[in-house]
Amino acid sequence: MIQFLGRRLFYSIVVLLLASIVAFVGTRIAFDPTARLSQVRDKEVRERERERLGLDKPIAVQYAKWVGDFAQGDMGTSEVTRQPVATMLGSGLSYTMQLMLWAVILSIIAAIAIGVYSAVRQYSAGDYIFTTVSFIGISIPPFWFAFIAIQFFVFQLTAWLNLSRPIFYFVGLHSTGASGFNIDYLQHLFLPVLVLTVQNIAGWSRYQRASMLDTLNSDYIRTARAKGVPRRQVITRHALRNALIPVVTVMALDIGLLFGGLVITEQIFSIPGMGRIFVQAITNGDAAVLTSWTVVAAFFVLLFNLIADLAYGWLDPRVRIA
Amino acid sequence: MKLRKYVVTTVALFALLSMSLAACGSNGSNGNSAAADGTLVVGADQEPDCLDWLATCSGASWGTYAALVTTLPQPYETYASDSDSGAYVYAPTGLLAGEATVAPGSQQIITYKLNPAAVWSDGVAITSADFKYTFDQIMSGEDIYDTTGYANVESVATPDPQTVVVSFKDSYAGWKGLFSGGYGVLPSHLLEGKNRNAIMKDGYSFSGGPWKLDGGKSGWEKGVSITLVPNENYWGTKPSIKKVVFRFITDTSAQFQAFKAGEVDFLYPQPQPDWFPAVKGGIEGATIKATADTSSVEALWLNNSKPPFDNESVRKAIAYSLDRDAIVKRLFGPLGVNKAWQSFNPPIVAAYADPAGFSGYTLDLAKVAELMTSQGYAKGSDGYWARDGVKASFTLKTTVGNKRRELTAQILQAAFKTAGFEMKIKTEDAGVLFGESGPTGDYEMALYAQVATGPEPGNCSIFCSVNIPTEANGNSGNNWTRTNVSGLDDLLQALDVEIGNAKRIEISKQADLLIGLSATSIPLDPLPNTVIYRNSVRGPVADNATMGPFWNMNLWTLKG
Repeated sequence: MIQFLGRRLFYSIVVLLLASIVAFVGTRIAFDPTARLSQVRDKEVRERERERLGLDKPIAVQYAKWVGDFAQGDMGTSEVTRQPVATMLGSGLSYTMQLMLWAVILSIIAAIAIGVYSAVRQYSAGDYIFTTVSFIGISIPPFWFAFIAIQFFVFQLTAWLNLSRPIFYFVGLHSTGASGFNIDYLQHLFLPVLVLTVQNIAGWSRYQRASMLDTLNSDYIRTARAKGVPRRQVITRHALRNALIPVVTVMALDIGLLFGGLVITEQIFSIPGMGRIFVQAITNGDAAVLTSWTVVAAFFVLLFNLIADLAYGWLDPRVRIA
Repeated sequence: MKLRKYVVTTVALFALLSMSLAACGSNGSNGNSAAADGTLVVGADQEPDCLDWLATCSGASWGTYAALVTTLPQPYETYASDSDSGAYVYAPTGLLAGEATVAPGSQQIITYKLNPAAVWSDGVAITSADFKYTFDQIMSGEDIYDTTGYANVESVATPDPQTVVVSFKDSYAGWKGLFSGGYGVLPSHLLEGKNRNAIMKDGYSFSGGPWKLDGGKSGWEKGVSITLVPNENYWGTKPSIKKVVFRFITDTSAQFQAFKAGEVDFLYPQPQPDWFPAVKGGIEGATIKATADTSSVEALWLNNSKPPFDNESVRKAIAYSLDRDAIVKRLFGPLGVNKAWQSFNPPIVAAYADPAGFSGYTLDLAKVAELMTSQGYAKGSDGYWARDGVKASFTLKTTVGNKRRELTAQILQAAFKTAGFEMKIKTEDAGVLFGESGPTGDYEMALYAQVATGPEPGNCSIFCSVNIPTEANGNSGNNWTRTNVSGLDDLLQALDVEIGNAKRIEISKQADLLIGLSATSIPLDPLPNTVIYRNSVRGPVADNATMGPFWNMNLWTLKG
């Protein structure tokens, strides 16, 4: 297992290095970090900035310096905000992780529960309902669902219940002047988490259902039932554990991608997370932020791949032996 | 099993109930009334990149609107002097004891007399030393955004704490914009000998204006908001609003939803067609004010060095292909803006603009045919003009993700097709369009806005041939259209140094006519500004095209 883990870790580092080269060269080709200064009337400003950023040096030299600094935790300084990129990404991650934490926990619980229910009660009314709702959930674009959710939970609900102000809010994670974990936080958290959760549940529950159906129809499950093992025990202790293996892969990949992929949700709900940082960096041509952002996003994809591999080992002893 | 169901149901109901109770009983600032706790919440389109106003990172308009004009003293402010013409003028602020004086003689020497009552938030007087410090920083500091005008200054003398004497080596007509506009006066007693950028870029605790950042640096919560509170030592009219929070909501649709839900009380949104219907229908309990008297001119910029626009007749034919009034009406009709703008001097300097240069260009397909055939073009079977087998085809570039510009491009495409021109559309990231395509001339036609930073006429930077970007000057000029009209340089350069206003108006109008007659580019519309606010916000609330709508916020009140 340690050998397996070591090998995966080594591959991950190589992939991360390759990703960093692609990210660095790509952003250097696509963005001129001094472009935003083209309209500054003082013409020397742009030249001075090029020298300051070391853009007059060969790209290989620039990359070597950047990767060396990055390895020591120095991601450079944003060319637009003059803030350390590490600080910006740290702040963005803290917001994104708040959304992720709740969305992933709720999604996993709900998706597994729905998937198992649909498989065990295949072709029942409940299965049809969950199947239909899941397909709707998969088909709905997140931005559309976000606006519908805002319209319903903020405006319609307030009107129906005749409240003086909405139960749920959609600007940021706190009201003006509020902070900490409290009702206000939950009131703000509900809608963005709902938007993320609906899509995740819809997709993951379909995988869980298909995987569970395969497992339930396998010989060892029939044997267990024939030996008189109670139905609930067969489902939870024998079938579910095996059925989780393919689902865990999908979940891990999706979670890894989510770290950089909350662009629309964060934009609509005005949450200054990784997605919004990415949009702003693209808009401003902030190459320093974009490069590090891409590498950090790649890191999380690889990290969750690794976690998926570990989860395999835990769920399936054959992986550990291999 | 049943018991578990009951527990879950009870918990869920309890949670919903407690949230409802929190919504009904909370004293937070999310209510539908801005006056609920004396806090005004503004939905801000944009977050500033930094608050060091002299540095290159300070270009974001919302930074200026929210935190510069509210916290730093400026000798001059701008306001609309005439609601009919929309023209803006400079007026001395309370920082000055009166109008600055211009010494007679050939050398331009300006003397500012400071108001002895003017003090910083720590009680220290605002003095001539602060002007000198600010000037020195602009001229010798690192990473300075703009030295225009300051580079013309020979010296800044401080004969006494209340007197500033600015002597110019080269005359500068726009001198009233110095230490104002995108800059302000900085406190030398707090910054001298220290790293100005480090102290200011993330927020600062000092103020010489009616407002200050709440808690200094902590008044700017990155990604979330900027919070202002009254400067208790302000020498002018002190604010009555207890707190102003600028919340960053970059999505226009979300801004309007937030306004309707009572999460924000004030909007100053970018003009985008998707919210015009909502505004046209009115918003209950809100006041909406739209104005076309702004500092922006959206235009079709033609690359005069590239076919087909290197030919003056083709440029004119393009101008005759459009019903610009109809386009403007289609775009901004719901805001009451129905007429095309006929100059590259924006509405705030209307007095310096001569509409005659462009007003003659109205939809006239016969004129298009006459101009095109005179240049050897003939219409092909596909309906497009062509010469020597080459179709009159061009690409329009504009910024990606701007719905208004995308709509404009589609309208233009249809109009040009009718007139016999093939127009393709390409959208680019703003950084690419303004950083590469424009400076290097890699475009044929572009759609974007030119924004004036103050009520100063003159477009030498964008139309003088000396400012054409070349490889020799590192593509650093701003004449991206490569305009080179005989006699235009002389007029525009004279305008930049002429101090007499009557003479300036005369010169500016001559330049406008010349630009119009050669159709170097085509102005489309003044981008309208709109303020939307709850009726509980009272006072002289109105747009200020150069300083933003919050410049006089110390005079506003909230109705309880």
